[in-house]
Amino acid sequence: MESMTPDIVLAAECVSLRYGATRALDCVSLAVRRGTITAIVGANGCGKTSLLRVLAQVIEPGGHAGTVTLAGVDQHGTAAARATRRAFVPQRPEVSASFTAREVVRLGRHAIGTNEAAVGRALEDVGLSLRADQTFHTLSGGERQRVAIARAFAQLDSGGVWLLDEPLSGVDPAEVARIIGALCRRVTSAATGSAAVLTLHDPGLARAIATDAIVMREGRVLASGDAASVLVPSILSEAYRHEMVEAPCWLAPRLGAGVRMRS
Amino acid sequence: MSARGFALLLTALCTAAGCRLALGPVADGGELRLTLAIPASEVLELRTTAVCSAVSLGAALGLAGLALQVLLRNPLASPFVLGISSGAGFGVALVLAGAYAAGVSAVSFGGEIAGAMLGAFATLLLVGWLGRSRAGHDPTTLVLSGVIVGAIFSAGTMLVEQMVPHGLRGDLLSWMAGRLPELPGRTAFWTLLASVVAGWLVLASNARALDVACFTDDEALASGVDIVRLRRILFGVGGFLAAVAVAYAGPIGFVGLIGPHIARRLVGPRHTVLVAGSALAGAALLVTADTARQAIDLGTGRLPVGVVTALAGGPAFLWLLRSGRWNR
Repeated sequence: MESMTPDIVLAAECVSLRYGATRALDCVSLAVRRGTITAIVGANGCGKTSLLRVLAQVIEPGGHAGTVTLAGVDQHGTAAARATRRAFVPQRPEVSASFTAREVVRLGRHAIGTNEAAVGRALEDVGLSLRADQTFHTLSGGERQRVAIARAFAQLDSGGVWLLDEPLSGVDPAEVARIIGALCRRVTSAATGSAAVLTLHDPGLARAIATDAIVMREGRVLASGDAASVLVPSILSEAYRHEMVEAPCWLAPRLGAGVRMRS
Repeated sequence: MSARGFALLLTALCTAAGCRLALGPVADGGELRLTLAIPASEVLELRTTAVCSAVSLGAALGLAGLALQVLLRNPLASPFVLGISSGAGFGVALVLAGAYAAGVSAVSFGGEIAGAMLGAFATLLLVGWLGRSRAGHDPTTLVLSGVIVGAIFSAGTMLVEQMVPHGLRGDLLSWMAGRLPELPGRTAFWTLLASVVAGWLVLASNARALDVACFTDDEALASGVDIVRLRRILFGVGGFLAAVAVAYAGPIGFVGLIGPHIARRLVGPRHTVLVAGSALAGAALLVTADTARQAIDLGTGRLPVGVVTALAGGPAFLWLLRSGRWNR
């Protein structure tokens, strides 16, 4: 692919993916600009998670077609090289050993090098400083999710691309506001060209926190661009095959000043 | 946590080794009596060999268990879940049957080791091949392949058993019980020790990657660990150590299963300490079992050590399970 403009930190060009006979992604292209938060929305099974895994390059080569380019990393770079520039949090993070939350966050820096200050900042950002020495297993589902987000924050303490799969599912509203605030701060303040891509099943939340959006349907991009112009009833109705209407949010956490509010 | 844990493990190992050196039958007026005393130098030398043999074998089993538990992400993984002991048993059965067909009435210990080695490594390669997918070794496929290949070889062993005379059947049964060679051949012992050291070094040098391997594959990969390569290493080390251990002493159960669990509780989950901890725990367990075996006199000779580890290890494992504090 042609060289990326300095503004683009992550790009995919005509990415396709099959699971056996099922087509999960059908020639999806996208470009993520620095300083943005991109929300991927769409109905269950539309390929959100598949796209995020392909962008994270955790699906083995040959399993998909098309190219994914991460700024600053060689196309054929090692897993360790990629880990210095992008972090990934799956929908259900797991740890099959009795590590504490702090140890799990530390392990995120496996490829980068130890930095206790970064670990502390990351735990603070997800509001788990006080429970950091509790075993991962003893934490609730939402707390485990937050530990995994902290691990991704610690991994890219000096900036990079965060790919988060449904990071806010099971997280309570106050913590959603805190995490989103931290994510915005990290994406906009880091000098080295940072961005975040998250899948969200709630289009309202997506419109409140994201700058950009990609709406997917059946493995294809239905619409993409500025979140405010893409996350509208007409497009979403088509994506969900169900009539969507503008409605005031019944209850929502107040987001910090750094987060752009649109609703 | 880990310093105290290591101290405990070392104390247990030294105590067990000390007892093993001092404990033994002494002729007393035409009758053998069990005594606890510093033995004559030639006896001490024999017992030192036995202790070294048990320490090395225990360490091999502990390390193999740890490698396979991380590989298969399963706390129930033991060196034998890959079907290696059954394969080795089949190898021994074939050697015995071959000897019978050739008209040899007794097979030397070396012949059995060769058969076990061949069976163990053939199984390892077969299971490794069956358990491979495009994304490397898949834990579920590996376990299923191991269990099924093991079942096939066990049936094969029974088939061969039906075809050989009673005397050879006894040899096979005694091998299957798992016994520590009292006077191991030099080559066998040094091979075992070299394997332990090599396996230890490989695991220790990958310790931090092993920690990250406790995440899901996607997370480990995204954190910078080449999980496919790491699985290949774990399969190689775990399988090789298990095969060498089975060839050396027959299938000795539970040491490889419980050793890593005890180590996790005593030294914690970090592999920088857990690798050494598992080797130490395995060694301490096997030397203890071997010592206990000396003290149990059924009047028909000593029990095979595999019987002791199974009798004591089974309940110990259940206790670990029930106490709910074992680490996943």
